[in-house]
Amino acid sequence: MKLRRVVSDKLWTVFTVVALGLAIVPLLSILFDIASKGISVINLDFFTQLPPLANASGGGMGNAIQGTLLLVALSSAIGLPIGLFSGVYISEYGVTNRYGSAVRFLGDVLAGIPSIVTGVLAYTLIVLTFQSFSVLAGGVALGTMMIPIVSNTTAEALKSVPNSIREASIALGIRKWRTSLLIMANAKKAIATASLLAIARITGETAPLILTAGISTLWFSGFNQPVGSLTYYIYYFGTSPYQNWQNMAWGAALILIAIVLGINAAVRLITRGKKAYA
Amino acid sequence: MARLMDMGLNQLNTMLLDMSSLSQTAVAASIDAYSKGGRGSEVRKMAERLQALHRQVSDLSMEVIARYQPVASDLRFIKACFEISYGFFRYGRYALDIVEVLEIFGDLAKCDRSAVVDTAKVTQEMIRMSADAFARRDVNLARKIPAMDDTVDESYRNNLMKVMNAKGNLKCSLSGTLILRYLERIADHATYIGESVDYIVTGIEPTA
Amino acid sequence: MLESVTSLDVEERQRLEPHDALETKMEVVGLDAWYSTKQALVDVNLNVRSNKVTAIIGPSGCGKSTLIRCLNRMHELVPGSRVTGSVLLDGKNIYGSDLDAVDVRRRVGMVFQKPNPFPNMSIADNVTAGLKLAGVKDESSMKEVERRTLERVGLWDEVKDDLKRSGASLSGGQQQRLCIARALAIEPEVLLMDEPCSALDPTATAKIEQLITSLKQTYTVVIVTHNMQQAARIADYTAFMYLGKLIEYDETTTLFENPRQELTERYITGKFG
Repeated sequence: MKLRRVVSDKLWTVFTVVALGLAIVPLLSILFDIASKGISVINLDFFTQLPPLANASGGGMGNAIQGTLLLVALSSAIGLPIGLFSGVYISEYGVTNRYGSAVRFLGDVLAGIPSIVTGVLAYTLIVLTFQSFSVLAGGVALGTMMIPIVSNTTAEALKSVPNSIREASIALGIRKWRTSLLIMANAKKAIATASLLAIARITGETAPLILTAGISTLWFSGFNQPVGSLTYYIYYFGTSPYQNWQNMAWGAALILIAIVLGINAAVRLITRGKKAYA
Repeated sequence: MARLMDMGLNQLNTMLLDMSSLSQTAVAASIDAYSKGGRGSEVRKMAERLQALHRQVSDLSMEVIARYQPVASDLRFIKACFEISYGFFRYGRYALDIVEVLEIFGDLAKCDRSAVVDTAKVTQEMIRMSADAFARRDVNLARKIPAMDDTVDESYRNNLMKVMNAKGNLKCSLSGTLILRYLERIADHATYIGESVDYIVTGIEPTA
Repeated sequence: MLESVTSLDVEERQRLEPHDALETKMEVVGLDAWYSTKQALVDVNLNVRSNKVTAIIGPSGCGKSTLIRCLNRMHELVPGSRVTGSVLLDGKNIYGSDLDAVDVRRRVGMVFQKPNPFPNMSIADNVTAGLKLAGVKDESSMKEVERRTLERVGLWDEVKDDLKRSGASLSGGQQQRLCIARALAIEPEVLLMDEPCSALDPTATAKIEQLITSLKQTYTVVIVTHNMQQAARIADYTAFMYLGKLIEYDETTTLFENPRQELTERYITGKFG
């Protein structure tokens, strides 16, 4: 009997290690593949030049990097504050009335909408109205996607602040809005984490951009104009038959992954060894 | 479920009941010695035993207070225990005092002892009532004691008057006076015990 | 009886216990409180006397915490809660339309069961949090408030060199005194304490008890405690609650020596249930 227990224990350990390996191998192979194929095109020109013509040499992804950064900035400007404050509402105000759970539910629904559908929304509202793909449409689409992610995680972060802190503040005769700010200050790390993760999440989006920001071979020329982005270019160049475009797509993928990993590293740095609310 | 404190309280109660019967026996023995002309030599032992018991009651009361911080009826019981135990101890002490008077004065067979013996009967009844009132926590019985105290006081005063008017035999009147004095003290303690019983049950403290 | 026991005469007693001369600081009148459909307080009437320590005792769930939380309108923060009846503070109903809950809480401060200093603030900032978060800007007076209040709770000598340290770095007893200092810094008139010592060791408890006793010179103190001996030690008046009702309310010595209600007697002697 004892032997059986020991064997089954060992088997279990082996099983989990194998599962871990199966999870890690594809991840590492993707990273390795992208790094090895992408690194060859990364040079100064890659960051400063416009995309090359098919079968031409040189050029870069400068406008796509610029576009992605712009789209992330604009969508953050839209999605973060709205998400943050609806998170505050859910956690700090929605508890005592029935709107809180309604907002919460809507957030969950919004989070579950496929990104392409969000793209269609922005397409209908903005692209059709202005008769042009635009940075604005892309920002709105991505920003809309951020709202539920940020609001739900913010609400969780605020709820993780012990109620005793809230009571302490209110019992001192501190007004509700000021108390909410105090609670946010206590959860600032968790909120920063949530915001960064939401940014990382939308940085990798392609589908809504096809319908909204469109693509451009030129530098940014206004919020009402289309703009190139890394994800769109990965898709566009990656599916092309031209070798130099395919190489550019590998480079773009490497940069994109570097950005997302960088954000995740920043999150790790923020949350290291600390309680979520401290 | 029995409380831990109850063990201490029950022990206190048992000790007080022991003191109650012992002190009644002691007083009865001393009065017997006076009225029937004995020596009452057993009274000394009883008085000493009562004193020892009184110390034990005090110690145990203190211990219960320190250990369990009694409140309400528990607290009142312990507070009253001091007074009641002291009362029983004094009964014994005065019984011994009476016996000592007899030792000093010797044979009193020729004296008219009826007045003192009558008063002693009242006093003994008061002792019995105080003991019963405590044993049964009987407030009504306890409240009857003070009226009898007046009878004893009056008897004591009358005797003093008689002695001052210098009637009769000096030995007889002096011994009678002393014994009456002790009976009067016993009666006071019976009254105090009655008041303590009242306090245990009702929480009403004696006012005057 | 020949000797009369000397005792206080009637006049003397009245001088020592000026019952009628006592000022009422807060008056609870016909107070009912609910959590959703569950009634937590049933027709509670209570006079909280000025500059006295009033203790509320009772078994768990008797409504003592609910009652104290109704005295500064903290009860209403619980979703679905409800209050009827009135609580008068200096004769004015704190549930009336002319008083704001925020103002009530500034006049009736509160200290909680578990010490809850703001973890993201220094010791000094914790003390002045109530002032700063209410918009008081005067930086120079803050130093003065910090020192005076920390001295008041006997914490100044222990922390004067670490005022910038986090309030959460203090020991439990120190944290609780810091919380009392924080409550006192906004100069309330009444201080409510909800089992302030239940998370503390005996030494820290003794310090808080001494502090409470000294506070009544300036403040009116209401304390909820599950520790009857604590109520007996520090309270001038004690209220006993059971199943949401105020069963008995009297001077502490009377309540603990000679309670009038059978229920009180059974609870305080430990013969309950």
